[in-house]
Amino acid sequence: MRIRLKEFNGVAVWKWVTNDDSCGICRMQFDASCSECRYPGDQCPVLHGECRHCFHEHCIMKWINAQQTNKLCPMCRGEWKSLP
Amino acid sequence: MAKDIRNRNVNGTSSNFFSSQNSSMTTKKLVIKNLKSSILTPPADYFDKIWPLLKQALEAILNGRNSPTNEEQLYRHIDHLCTTTSTNEAINSQPSLLYENLKGVFDDHIQTLLPTLLSDINDSNGYLRVLNSIWNDHLVRSILIRQLFIVLDRTYVLHAAVPNIWELNQDLFRRYIMQNSIISNRCVNGLLKLIEQERRGETIDRTLMKNLIRMLIDLHLYKKDFEPLFLQSTEELYHNEGRTLIQTLELSQYLSHVERRLHEEQLRIKNYIDQSTKLQLIHIVENNLIANHIKQMLSKSFDTLIDENRLSSVAVMYDLFLRTGPLGINDLREAFGNYIKVHGRVLVIDVDKDDKMVDELLEFKEKLDHFVHECFHSNEKFGNILKDSFEFFINQRSNKPAELIAKAVDARLRTGNKEATEEELEKILDKLLILFRFIHGKDVFEAFYKKDLAKRLLVGKSASVDAEKSMLLKLKQECGNIFTSKLEGMFKDIELSKDIMTAFEQYLHGHKAPENIGMSVCVLTMGFWPTYPTVTAILPPEFCRLQEIFTTFYLSKHTGRKLQWQYTLDHCLLKGWLKQKAVKEFHVSLYQALVLLLFNQQNDVTYKDIHEQTKIVEPELKRTLQSLACGKIRLLNKKPMSKDVNSDDLFSLNTSFEHKLIRIKINQVQLKETPEENSSTTERVVQDRHCQIDAAIVRIMKTRKTLSHAQLMAEVFSQLKFLLSTSVVKIRIESLIEREYMKRSAESANVYEYVA
Repeated sequence: MRIRLKEFNGVAVWKWVTNDDSCGICRMQFDASCSECRYPGDQCPVLHGECRHCFHEHCIMKWINAQQTNKLCPMCRGEWKSLP
Repeated sequence: MAKDIRNRNVNGTSSNFFSSQNSSMTTKKLVIKNLKSSILTPPADYFDKIWPLLKQALEAILNGRNSPTNEEQLYRHIDHLCTTTSTNEAINSQPSLLYENLKGVFDDHIQTLLPTLLSDINDSNGYLRVLNSIWNDHLVRSILIRQLFIVLDRTYVLHAAVPNIWELNQDLFRRYIMQNSIISNRCVNGLLKLIEQERRGETIDRTLMKNLIRMLIDLHLYKKDFEPLFLQSTEELYHNEGRTLIQTLELSQYLSHVERRLHEEQLRIKNYIDQSTKLQLIHIVENNLIANHIKQMLSKSFDTLIDENRLSSVAVMYDLFLRTGPLGINDLREAFGNYIKVHGRVLVIDVDKDDKMVDELLEFKEKLDHFVHECFHSNEKFGNILKDSFEFFINQRSNKPAELIAKAVDARLRTGNKEATEEELEKILDKLLILFRFIHGKDVFEAFYKKDLAKRLLVGKSASVDAEKSMLLKLKQECGNIFTSKLEGMFKDIELSKDIMTAFEQYLHGHKAPENIGMSVCVLTMGFWPTYPTVTAILPPEFCRLQEIFTTFYLSKHTGRKLQWQYTLDHCLLKGWLKQKAVKEFHVSLYQALVLLLFNQQNDVTYKDIHEQTKIVEPELKRTLQSLACGKIRLLNKKPMSKDVNSDDLFSLNTSFEHKLIRIKINQVQLKETPEENSSTTERVVQDRHCQIDAAIVRIMKTRKTLSHAQLMAEVFSQLKFLLSTSVVKIRIESLIEREYMKRSAESANVYEYVA
């Protein structure tokens, strides 16, 4: 008797690759959406800064746009430069 | 004159115009003159002459004989006597003389009737008959006399303030006969006796009754002599009857008895009692048979009526109570509500009956709905009490009913549910939803519903997508967007995964496809789905390769993400060459596949080896082996044979395996809820509730700043919908104090202060 795999139906959960559980701005978990979105997804990815802090894209962009002069990370007050 | 003119006009042709003109100029008037009275003025002794004749005739009529003198002649005499006017006083006073004499004759005659009526007639029925015949004779003769003396009525009586001849006659009859206390008593008692007989079920002479009651009414004695006594005897009868029958009769018999009584009394009114007595009579019956015993009826065996589904009796009960006004109906409603609370609680509270609970609840609800529609005429208040009572008892047991309703829905939506067409399925879902509506702890339902929905969607066991969507819509209508947003997210993930798979297939064409192994993957968004424990297992290389290919593909499309495989939800299709030619395909869970694939290398494997080589966690592995070796379809043989898997068992492939189908599903084990799953789902609900309690406490404290313990508790309980115990709230308060959201007041340990 021989048994062979013919079909594989897998289930996988996706998560953001982050250094933190929740967004420092909206305090929502990264696995949930930011407060503006209904669903987490590519419309609102997680942005990583050079300072190793990460936020929902919507949240950090709102913060940065509100800054008058220097764009600073809300967590460490260092200059915000997002990693690609 | 006028006649002359007309004659001339008709005869004279040529002078027609002229003469008519002429006549109009002289203006002649038509004059109506009095009819000429007879020229003869009656002599002064006219009355004395005719009276003997009249008297003779009167006596003849009153005794039922024919008048010896021609009545026409008598009439003319009377007419003459009454219509003559004269200056002579003696002549003018003749009509009054006639009237007085007439009265005297009546008076004498009626007194002659007395002895018969005062004599001893023992049989009261016979007595009534005698009275009736006397009355009837009296009526007939009164009419004859009135007709004879009608001129007297129209002349003298009109002007003099005296009763007319008919009334005079009736007055005398009343005065001498019916106001005689002996006769009156005998008559009324006789009538009451007859009524009593009829109420006992005997047949009586209704015409006799009717005539005599008519007599009493005509003589204006009904209200005074008969009615009070009649009502009194009725009251006595029904008072006693009500008291004894409510004790001796069964409730449904009693109800139909009351209904019959009411019907009889109504007939009685139709047959002989006067309409004016109707309200009082019916009121007495209602009061004594219904209103006075409402409490007793309800406490006695109302519950049994509902238990035994006696719709007609309950309907009669409602109709009868409705007659007595709102109080009775209120009592009935309360009794109905109490019945539901007491009997519903029994269904819910018994732990041993959990598997039947939902079915029994549905049945119970249907039965009660039936009562509301059929017996209470869909009275809105009864509908409301039904809902309130259901809500009350179903929440007597926390969490379990909600869980079981969710599972009942799952059972209906799964494949293999053959009981229903689409319409029937909709119907039963609606019914389950009604039960769900009564549940306070909707979060428990949601948690279990979500868990089951996830399995249906992922393991591909959903009976119909349409039914799933329609259920989702129902829940959305019931509880709003927020309640279903995660559930909708799950559906969205499944849709998205389909798109991903089409893209993946194209991607595979460009890359080297792994040896004819089909693959599909569902990618889930973490937040929507129930959280699954992360488990590890050792996968054979072909699995790893497939996973790698997919992961690379997925991450190339979605940057910044990572994938975590959920082994408990994976399932596979295996192809097995059992004997020479028999090829079978097996739908199995990933774990089952891992175990089965081991037997490609070895024939006999011990439990320990399987555990070693797959690293499947203990309880899961036991369940998996059990499903393969101890279920209906046995792919593995186990030594020793037993129902449970032990750690020193030895397994081998069942080479004599046979099955009539080619493709066999043995992954039902995945759908089954494990005890760990159940407790973790409940645990998660409890955790969520803790957060809700925390939030509620903080919200309240933030607005009130300082609050006593009792007040805080009261507010928390009013804000939260699910059943919660004071001890839990106390623990949450402690925890919040620890986390410095609030503190105890320095003055009093019973007062809290909000910490900003």
